[in-house]
Amino acid sequence: MSDTIVPGRWARFRDSYLLYSFKRDLIAQVSLVIFALLIFAAVFAPWLAPANPYDLAQIDILASELPPFWIDGADPAYLMGTDAQGRDLLSTILYGARVSLIIGFGAVLMQAVIGVSFGLMAGYLGGRVDAFLMRLADIQLSFSTLMVAIIVGALVKAIFGGATFSEYAVPLLVLIIGLAEWPQYARTVRASVLAERSKEYVDAARVMGLKSRRIMFRHILPNTLSPIFVISTVQVANAIISEAALSFLGLGMPETHPSLGSLIKSGFDYIQSGSWWITLIPGAVLVILVLVINLLGDWLRDVLNPRLYKG
Amino acid sequence: MIFRKTLLATLVGATAVGAALLPATASAENTLRMAYDADPVSLDIHEQLSGGILQLSHMTFDPLVRWNQDFEFEPRLATSWEQVDDTTMRMTLREGVTFHSGNKFTAEDVVFTVERLKESPDFKAIFAPVESVTAIDDTTIEFTTTKPYPLLLNLATYIFPLDSEFYSGTDEDGDPKDEIVKNGNSYASRHLSGTGPFEVTNRQQGVRIDFERNDDYWDESSPGNVDNIVLTPIGENATRVAALLSGDVDFIAPVPPNDLDRIRNDEDVQLVTMSGTRIILFHMDQNRVEAFEDPRVRQAFAYAINQEGIADRLMKGFATSAAQLSPAGYAGHNDELSPRYDVEKAKELMAEAGYEEGFSITMMAPNNRYVNDAKIAQAVAAMLARINVTVDLKTLPKAQYWGEFDERAADMMMIGWHSDTEDSANFYQYLTECPDAETGAGQYNASNYCNPEIDALVAEANVEVDLEKRAEMLKAVEQALYDDAAFVPLHWQDLAWASAENVNIEPILNVMNFPYLGDLVIEE
Repeated sequence: MSDTIVPGRWARFRDSYLLYSFKRDLIAQVSLVIFALLIFAAVFAPWLAPANPYDLAQIDILASELPPFWIDGADPAYLMGTDAQGRDLLSTILYGARVSLIIGFGAVLMQAVIGVSFGLMAGYLGGRVDAFLMRLADIQLSFSTLMVAIIVGALVKAIFGGATFSEYAVPLLVLIIGLAEWPQYARTVRASVLAERSKEYVDAARVMGLKSRRIMFRHILPNTLSPIFVISTVQVANAIISEAALSFLGLGMPETHPSLGSLIKSGFDYIQSGSWWITLIPGAVLVILVLVINLLGDWLRDVLNPRLYKG
Repeated sequence: MIFRKTLLATLVGATAVGAALLPATASAENTLRMAYDADPVSLDIHEQLSGGILQLSHMTFDPLVRWNQDFEFEPRLATSWEQVDDTTMRMTLREGVTFHSGNKFTAEDVVFTVERLKESPDFKAIFAPVESVTAIDDTTIEFTTTKPYPLLLNLATYIFPLDSEFYSGTDEDGDPKDEIVKNGNSYASRHLSGTGPFEVTNRQQGVRIDFERNDDYWDESSPGNVDNIVLTPIGENATRVAALLSGDVDFIAPVPPNDLDRIRNDEDVQLVTMSGTRIILFHMDQNRVEAFEDPRVRQAFAYAINQEGIADRLMKGFATSAAQLSPAGYAGHNDELSPRYDVEKAKELMAEAGYEEGFSITMMAPNNRYVNDAKIAQAVAAMLARINVTVDLKTLPKAQYWGEFDERAADMMMIGWHSDTEDSANFYQYLTECPDAETGAGQYNASNYCNPEIDALVAEANVEVDLEKRAEMLKAVEQALYDDAAFVPLHWQDLAWASAENVNIEPILNVMNFPYLGDLVIEE
């Protein structure tokens, strides 16, 4: 195996421009480290967190509004302090980040599946399919994400009741945010497909008698991956922000299962009356999370866009 | 503004109006911008028996008599009264009073109002003791009660005479104008004509209400100098406080407990606080949840909830934790009852009743009616989790909440009650008596708790003239309710208002939380 001419995947990766530019980009490295840490903390939240903030029986009202450890009056059992109901803030942030990331990635996966399929079909098949799908995207884009989410959320709450909503809040939010933003993908993919469609390899594949579906997914799609990667990073950040905004408005995660957004909301009353940490600490975590994702996305765009090779 | 003032002054000068009018007319108009946590749900003051509606009543109507800050009766539309015999009281009414519509105020209006009150689902229970009211002549009325009733004057504080001519006849849809529709759309819920210091000029529900001073207001001795009021509901506590501190509004209520210090320390605003008598409690609906029929389960709930923790932490000590309805100082207040927080005991009781595994319930609470209401509900839900009770909590604005409350839409519902007669019996009448739509008893008893023995004791106490004996009876009622855990009492909430330094709110506030805004003085 060692004397084969084709280098292995790992070797190819080692020699790639991707890694080369990563090694020279300090911002990307720092962002990746922080992002990895956050992911790790979120994934292992049930083991890392000192308390389970979703278990109401563990919450003690007498331990409410305790400050974080560096301020007088703190209780060492609550490193980052507690919120107005007596929830341990550190645990809640860990669990909240987990919810935010699940919703962020879940929603983006959903957007990608719908958006990429629609974009490929619209671009490759053209004609009526194109017109129909793109008008659908136009209509979808004319509603803002938040509005769609608010309407769907309110409807579900009204029809199935608050308890059902709380139980299925995460999949519902994934569904809502996923459905609201697929046109971003569809449009980007369609534009790339239009450029690729007239290239010779596509003609060749067609002449060979391959089916449309195979050409779309096996031949064209791999050549449109770079913009999809870039848009995905932006969309993950967007989805996390959307979830936080919805929860802040009281339409996202229920107060008993706080995400970062609902945690920020619950501390809002106290921000100017002493207990600033309930809002500011989760707020900072949210900002950092979104910022590192965006920075990574920025770096990825620079690398994957051949027109932007840095000297 | 300056231009307008000059213009006014010129006009006044040119038309040579009496010199006495000149200073009043020439001064700039005083506008009070105030923010409550919510605006009144209706303009019909007989639709709902609630603090918000009574506050509106005191702005746009006048009661026959009202309480002053020393808890004495102050004559308003009734100038004097005398007890004719045990069951009859005669009142003399003020002359020269007109309604906003221009109609003259007469004894007939009072008769019309009391009759409408006796029809109102919310008010009829408190007016049950009044058998009839008759107009002797234009300025004299006579009340007859079914039995000797010592609290008739207390009741008169709730009689705000309506403009009988204005509310008679039918509206464009053919519905009678005096119809009372709860949480609905009636003529009276959209139109208003009273004798009060302010008229409603514009109302957008949930957005703002504009009031304008009644130019023909009868009370010329009132020091009040506010010409316009803009009432904006601001539900978010932090936003309401910020609005006051930034000078966007001049008067706010309530002040959230966690911001009291901030307001106290600000030199441009003033804070007024009073210890309150409004009890906040949770009902446990026996008609909806079978388990609540078992007194052990109800007791377990009472044991599971840490009233002192709520009063201490969520309310920042700005409330007194409660184990009964009557606050200290009321005839029925029983000193022997104290909050009984004990989770272990609660678990035992649940196990005894066969509910060791717990059960699921729904809970509803308003989020802009009582101080920290939604947070309290969340805390209670968390406390119940310790006895394995899963709570599906929904909090909603009071405009929607009371509709849900009237339908008893959840297993546990929050309510706050301030005694309308400043007497213990009013609590029992509305919150614990066997519900009876006919008499209005138990109109807000969302526990659907019914214990005829206790009701009989209350009825007996109501006709007892020996005050000491009566107090003993009322205390026994509190004890029985406590033993039976008819509801979960939480605390008596204290009151706080804040205003800009030049708005002199202190003299117009009272423990009922009915600011007499007609008498409010804004200093120049």
